[in-house]
Amino acid sequence: MRTYVAKRLLLIVPTLLGVAALVFFIMRVIPGDVTLLILGGDQAGRIDPAQIAAMKHQLGLDQPLLVQFGTWLWGVLRFDFGTSLWTGQSVIDELLIRLPLSLELALLASMVSVLIAIPLGMLAAVRQDSWVDYVVRVVSIGGLAIPSFWVGILCILLLVIYFGWGPPLEFTPPWVDPWANFQQMVWPVVTVGYRYAAVTTRMTRSTVLEVLREDYIRTAWAKGLRERVVVVRHALKNAMLPVITLIGTEFAFLIGGLVVTETVFTLNGVGRFVVDAVAHRDYPVVQALVFLIAFSFVIVNLLVDLTYAWLDPRIRYR
Amino acid sequence: MRPLLRRQPFLASVLVIALTVGSLLAGAGLAPAAETPRRGGVLLAVIGADPPSLDAHQESTFANIELVAPLYSTLLQLDPYHYPKIIGDLATEWKIAPDGLTYTFKLHSGVKFHDGSPLTAADVKATYDKIIFPPQGVRSIRKNAYTAVTAIEAPDSSTVVFKLKFPSASLLANLASPWNVIYPKKYLDQDPNYFKTHVVGSGPFKLKGYTRGSTFEGERNPDYFVKDRPYLDGYKFYISPETSVRAAAIRSGRAWIEFRHLPTAEVEAIKKQLGDKITVQETPMTGQWGVAINNTVKPFTDVRVRKALTLGIDRYTMGKVLYSLTGLKNVGGLIRPDSEWGMAAAELEKLPGFWRDAEKSRAEAKHLLAEAGYPNGFKVVLKNRNVKLPYQDFAVFLIQEWRKIGIDVENRPLETAAWFNDGQNTGNFELIVAPTVEFMDDPDQFLGRYATGSTQNWGRFSDPQVDDLFSRQARTLDPVERKKLINQIEKIVLENAYSMPGLWWTRNLVHWTKVKNYVAPPNHYTNQKLQDVWLAEE
Repeated sequence: MRTYVAKRLLLIVPTLLGVAALVFFIMRVIPGDVTLLILGGDQAGRIDPAQIAAMKHQLGLDQPLLVQFGTWLWGVLRFDFGTSLWTGQSVIDELLIRLPLSLELALLASMVSVLIAIPLGMLAAVRQDSWVDYVVRVVSIGGLAIPSFWVGILCILLLVIYFGWGPPLEFTPPWVDPWANFQQMVWPVVTVGYRYAAVTTRMTRSTVLEVLREDYIRTAWAKGLRERVVVVRHALKNAMLPVITLIGTEFAFLIGGLVVTETVFTLNGVGRFVVDAVAHRDYPVVQALVFLIAFSFVIVNLLVDLTYAWLDPRIRYR
Repeated sequence: MRPLLRRQPFLASVLVIALTVGSLLAGAGLAPAAETPRRGGVLLAVIGADPPSLDAHQESTFANIELVAPLYSTLLQLDPYHYPKIIGDLATEWKIAPDGLTYTFKLHSGVKFHDGSPLTAADVKATYDKIIFPPQGVRSIRKNAYTAVTAIEAPDSSTVVFKLKFPSASLLANLASPWNVIYPKKYLDQDPNYFKTHVVGSGPFKLKGYTRGSTFEGERNPDYFVKDRPYLDGYKFYISPETSVRAAAIRSGRAWIEFRHLPTAEVEAIKKQLGDKITVQETPMTGQWGVAINNTVKPFTDVRVRKALTLGIDRYTMGKVLYSLTGLKNVGGLIRPDSEWGMAAAELEKLPGFWRDAEKSRAEAKHLLAEAGYPNGFKVVLKNRNVKLPYQDFAVFLIQEWRKIGIDVENRPLETAAWFNDGQNTGNFELIVAPTVEFMDDPDQFLGRYATGSTQNWGRFSDPQVDDLFSRQARTLDPVERKKLINQIEKIVLENAYSMPGLWWTRNLVHWTKVKNYVAPPNHYTNQKLQDVWLAEE
């Protein structure tokens, strides 16, 4: 197991290096000149070439690409992602404003999803083709089919129309005011959690169904074990592998991928930050955010792999 | 020292625009000081976008001025209660030399910037030098409004003198621009772009905090030079790009005012739910939504194609369809149709794109396209701002109209900064939705964008005749003569379809009734200082 963990940890280094290189060079080849953006451009975009050259020098963009990459990488190693070209603030400071919100939303939505989806998926599988199964399937297909932002707007409108109440417009961290935080986060968590739970429920149902047809389950039934023991102890653990992968990748996606939900609930999260930064061609911010989102995917995948190893001894002994 | 309006009757008439708005608002019982103001409280507002930068000199979006105006002072201002009357802000008095070539302003004494340093004539001079004679690398999008100015002088700490090379009909109006906020000289000397990311003003409020994408907050400036102002302890804007979310925020009382506009359908729903807790001020708007046509790229270098575009739009139907959705309503040319400078409807209806017979216009558009070598039309991208109101609905209508003459248009919404960059800075577009919104109905402001080389000439066209007429109208003090020149400019621009006006906007300003003493002007740029606004107890 120790070798397995060490191997997985070591693999992170080339993965992140690859991501760093990819992000850096993609940002350099996409159209749009950041110096033109910063300088604005007086008289219908005509800017003095000397000004452009000076700005390029100031930003270090006149250096060879490899030198620029090296400088950036050195910064990343020291946890210094540079300064936003748009706001003039440190990228880390900008990120720290938004990360707690995105992390909280991702964590809560994952919890809601796991708490709802796994029991429901299991129940639907065990009671396949019964009314319970049909209800679970209809509700989960609804979660997949209905866009989250629409559910979000519906939530807000219903609250406003029937209760004259709307969620707060500004994020309050839970450690500052838990009640204010709850009032704001509960609706996006419900909205995102519903879609997330729908995906997970369907995955749980199908994998449990598959496992329930395995020989060793038949043996367990033949031994006269109780249904709870067969399903929970023997079937569920093995059925969980794909579900855990799904939960992991969904969690990492939620950190940076909730642009529309964040817009609907006026949440100042990482998703909106990424989209804004791309629109502004704010290279340091985009590079940092894509790198950090990739990093979170890598870490989550590592945790998923470690969980695999814990769940399935064949993996850790391989 | 006598005030300007007594000495310059021509200028007076130039500046006094029909008072329909003022009388309308007065009739609605919104005149100031009807109740005793109450001190305290933080005004909660919602706004639809982040500013591209904090420097009002370099920006032209509500997303900048609504947020930063309360933090700054200007030399002159439009009277918050009586649009378009001009009153002093930092200036206590001013005089104009008989030849109209020297304007002398006296400043309030004891005005301090938020960093504690005194505001003097040197700061005003440095600010206007930056606006009118910007250093290289600094954008000044309004410098064309000051072509008459040759120099700004500060003979002593409380006197500012503007020297002109010819008498200017619009100078005072332009000096009342809310965008010309006064910056401290010492920071401008360090870096003329300093205020893109920093705020050091002398306004009624000081910057408390700004979190991009979330909130913008100001707090009361205890050293504000106007005695006993402001009434509020502060103001806070929540930034939310989604119109329905902003409407819901007003409806739920999370915010109390939306300074720009809410669609009629949302307004009706809010009124129905909240009754007299809500006040709606509907005003005309010194703003027109149109399309900038890039005259430097094919096929729009061909006047026939440009004309076909404008002929393809049935503006009269558009006004009926879009009003309830967006507030876009009135058909007009380059100047607001109800203003004293606007072209008469009978004249306008002779120009391409303004004919009453839509079928005839479409037939002519198809004929012109065929003549230009596009009998089956062509494909084109219409760049747009990703602000729904009214940009997206406006684009949807245009696209379906153009489809009728065979032009296949893709709507491409861009984030505010990218939209400005492509439209204004780099010209990276074929067609782009381009509003013309100014802080008052001033011909220099509305027509400057059609002059060669103007930063606001997004279409990048050049017509020496337009340049000449623009220059002549700017120095014509007789309003009758000036109007003739203005109408000629309109005719040339519209006949050549250099640019394509769409519809003139009307505005629903929605606020909780407890927000007192705010009179909505016919635009969302002026009267944003909030120094007289107060909050009543519920």
